Amino acid sequence: MSISSTSRTRLRLLQIAILILFGVVIARLVQIQILDSQKYREIAQRQYQAKIVLPAIRGSIYDRNGIVIASNSMIVSLAADPMLASEDVRSIANTFSKIFGKPKQYYLQKLHSDSRFVWLERKVNGNFLRKINVKHIEGLVVLQEPKRLYYHEQLAGQLIGCTDIDNKGIAGVELAFDAQLRGKDGYVVFQRDGLGRARPSVDYPRQDPINGHGIVLTIDLNLQAIAEKELKKGIEKNKAEGGIVILLQPKTGEVLALAQYPSINSNDFGDYNLADQKLRAVTDLFEPGSLFKIVTASAALEHDMVTLQKEFFAENGVYVVSAAGGKGRKITDMHKYGWLTFQEAMEVSSNIVMAKVSDLIGSERFYRMSRNYGFGVATNVGFPGEVKGVLKKPVEWSGTTLNSLSFGYEVGVTPIQIAVAYAAVANNGMLMKPYIFAREQAAMGQTVWEAQPEKIRNVISESTAQTLKGLFEGVVERGTGAPAKIPGVRIAGKTGTSRKYIEGRYETGTYTASFVGFFPVEDPQIVCLVMMDNPRGDNYTGGTTSAPVFRAIAEQLLNYIHLFKPIAPMAHVSNNSIPERDLPPKNVHRYRITEEKKARAFEAHSIPDVRGYSVRRAITVLTVGKFQPIVNGSGTVVSQIPTAGQPATEGMKITLVCQPKAVSTLTAR
Amino acid sequence: MFKTHHNHIDILVLIAVLTLMLLSLGIVYSASASYAQARLGDSERVLISHAVKVSLGILGMFIAMQIDYHRLQRLTKFSVIVTVGFLMITLILGGETKGVTRWLRFSNLGFQPSEFAKYALLFHLCALIATKGELIQDFKKGFLPMMFWIGFVTMLVMLQPNFSMGAMIFLLSMVMVFLGRARLSHITLAAVALIPVLIAYMLSADYRRERVMTFLSGGSPAKSNYQLWQGILAFGNGGMFGVGPGESKQREFFLPESYSDFVFSIVGEEYGFIGTMFFMLLFLLIMYRGFRIAKYAGDPFGRNLAIAITSAVTLYALINAGVTLGIFPTTGLPMPFVSYGGSSMVFSACAIGVLLNISSQTDLYPRARQIEVLGSIQPSEATVGKVY
Repeated sequence: MSISSTSRTRLRLLQIAILILFGVVIARLVQIQILDSQKYREIAQRQYQAKIVLPAIRGSIYDRNGIVIASNSMIVSLAADPMLASEDVRSIANTFSKIFGKPKQYYLQKLHSDSRFVWLERKVNGNFLRKINVKHIEGLVVLQEPKRLYYHEQLAGQLIGCTDIDNKGIAGVELAFDAQLRGKDGYVVFQRDGLGRARPSVDYPRQDPINGHGIVLTIDLNLQAIAEKELKKGIEKNKAEGGIVILLQPKTGEVLALAQYPSINSNDFGDYNLADQKLRAVTDLFEPGSLFKIVTASAALEHDMVTLQKEFFAENGVYVVSAAGGKGRKITDMHKYGWLTFQEAMEVSSNIVMAKVSDLIGSERFYRMSRNYGFGVATNVGFPGEVKGVLKKPVEWSGTTLNSLSFGYEVGVTPIQIAVAYAAVANNGMLMKPYIFAREQAAMGQTVWEAQPEKIRNVISESTAQTLKGLFEGVVERGTGAPAKIPGVRIAGKTGTSRKYIEGRYETGTYTASFVGFFPVEDPQIVCLVMMDNPRGDNYTGGTTSAPVFRAIAEQLLNYIHLFKPIAPMAHVSNNSIPERDLPPKNVHRYRITEEKKARAFEAHSIPDVRGYSVRRAITVLTVGKFQPIVNGSGTVVSQIPTAGQPATEGMKITLVCQPKAVSTLTAR
Repeated sequence: MFKTHHNHIDILVLIAVLTLMLLSLGIVYSASASYAQARLGDSERVLISHAVKVSLGILGMFIAMQIDYHRLQRLTKFSVIVTVGFLMITLILGGETKGVTRWLRFSNLGFQPSEFAKYALLFHLCALIATKGELIQDFKKGFLPMMFWIGFVTMLVMLQPNFSMGAMIFLLSMVMVFLGRARLSHITLAAVALIPVLIAYMLSADYRRERVMTFLSGGSPAKSNYQLWQGILAFGNGGMFGVGPGESKQREFFLPESYSDFVFSIVGEEYGFIGTMFFMLLFLLIMYRGFRIAKYAGDPFGRNLAIAITSAVTLYALINAGVTLGIFPTTGLPMPFVSYGGSSMVFSACAIGVLLNISSQTDLYPRARQIEVLGSIQPSEATVGKVY
């Protein structure tokens, strides 16, 4: 082999080696860039994008007069980009030092960091924001998150319920109307770089959150306060374990107040024990005792079995009923009576007479009357966890069941069922569906849904109802309900004292003492049920413990002039929530629409300020205010003609000048 | 006996190199802007620096092109001695970057002596091979002296420590020795003697060991090698046609060294498979023309030089591309003419200048060819070209 041929062969080998290398590199390029490209692209896209949730603001809860019961407060975190803030470092440190009371050096040190993001204050009260001129400080980042806030501490805690840490309703109204209150979270897709910094992506539109709707309850907070206060007094006086007050509007079925003792505070709902968290008016069964005589009386009168004057022998307090083939049942009265008219028997609440009357009525009719009053059926008042109660069918009855039922044993009812039944009497025999959800309203105050009073059925004829009213009025005038009497006001009512059924037997000395009544009898406006658990003071009967509470409440309600007003048409708008665009993504400066400005939007006589609103929202606001918006451009409203605050006329044209969001968010107005 | 370069240079090599350099301006700018903005406060800082280096490279290339390569033959030994001197000074005084001393600085100008060492050593080997001729097959008189210089320079570079550069210098040197008709037994002996040294060296530093283990394990690069994984994502994200010039997302701090060692990944992302293929074809063109120049070189030294320069440039490009694609373990080798980095740019460009000078002294591109083809219209001019 010649020298040059060796050399040429070796050169050829080198060239082949290099060409093979080219081939390998190109093959790899084909694999990565063509064959597997899609896979890598997806992985890459994922690391470029970050989806940030813009939380929807949970709707507020109002009482019937528009008073805010639950709303949101803002927790604010403040951060800075030291590079952008470099010129203002001293003034920022000064401002923060003044507001938060930490030494200037603390902030200066943070602001002189090399990082592009430093926290200055985390999770502080949103009110601090008012003191900082956010839009004039370059490089300041404001992050806000809503926190549920209940304004009325102990009031109606079980009724309102609470939300969990994710702002989802988990109890009470918050749970019952979670779907309406929650809204829909929005999101913004960010482009992210390798350092984790993000900026809004131009490829994906920002999805604004849809804020939750407000819920207006039929509850009147003033009545609620009165009920809770008087219940508490009564319970303390009678050394009871707990109690319930229900106030109903009999003509409509609106629940005006639902008080429960021990009360709880929705702001720290979870700290209370489970038994106290329940809204017992709908979740707990009790044996109604004499309150259930409404069924006995209704059935007897409706079917003409008795007249008020018909006399019955009360057996001097003890009456043994012999059941077919079984052991007898001893029925006792609290006091010994001889002959009583039906009216008198009701007034003194004679169990023996009621048992005798029930024999006249018969099982079928008695059962049907019970069902017609709504016993054994959930009222669907609008609360989670409502139970339907226990009302056995006649085929399941024993020989003495009918007699027991006639004075309210062997039946389980909820307090709300009792209140609703008496409301039917007050409403001339028409049973109304009780409700607490009066209206759902959108963020701007427009009504989305409104409850209408709902008739269920005519339980008794109007004449029977009138007779019953007289009967129950007599109970208060002359009978066991006398402690409820208020001079000059016609009050009808019924007492109930039932032994508590605990662990399979009736405990002597453990009573549920109750009173239910309505007034004024000539045109009933309020049904009020008062129940006490196990009063251990000197008194234990419904008449002596609960009836005085009823009276105390009624006395105050008579002075409560708003009582008979319908639910207020809302002009009232939540202003405790921050508009969604004020939940800023990182590094984007946003400003806050002040409450005043928002509120101004709803004054009909002047032009609202819609600058800073999205076009869609501005149009909504103006349309609601009966203006005629003319849109110029798209995105966010940057100016409007004529300007806000000027006197307005209906149908006035308002020209909106808009710019795309990215621009307007950076130009503070 | 020296021929003056009165013929044309290989214009395709020049065009290929200039194209790479000009494209690199756009790519380095795109790849570096975010980094420069964030870290240096000026998005164009790296671009300007790179443009200066490209200009210096072009200048160096044209100067080298004008120098008759034969004059280099007498300078090679001196260059290697200077190189050794530089490398030793670097080891003692060099500026540290990331724990390694690869830089020699004069005031604010710095360069990597190893880049110079590479060409100085290769050139010297070319000269030795050319002058020794048959003597190279003699172990003592031919092989050992070459291995002395190779070993010495390689060792100094590796001590910096710059393993990849040392390995490349060694590889290219051995290629020259191989092509210089050294006995295979000698080369095998040298290789066998070196293996334990290399392995010991590889495992001596944690980061080298880790890289090697990662590569050998063949596992998902995502977990163990963030940089490589991000580089591959860049290629994949580019797909067939790329995301478009200046649209790279990987440069946004996902891919470290996106404008230097991993610049090819950004090419792949922004210009897609089309772009990477174009770059590969340019290097393929340089290789083809380079070996063609070698073939037609007028003397052994020129031939050796042409082979050395062509091999150095194409192998560097291929190994850099291979690293970014995960074919080779991750090392810090730049892609010639494309990566940001002054030493590589200037010395590679100068080497291409030498190659072009060689090309001008071949008979490939005679100035008078046109006349020759057309016939002897002006015979006086036809004699200018050397037509046999």
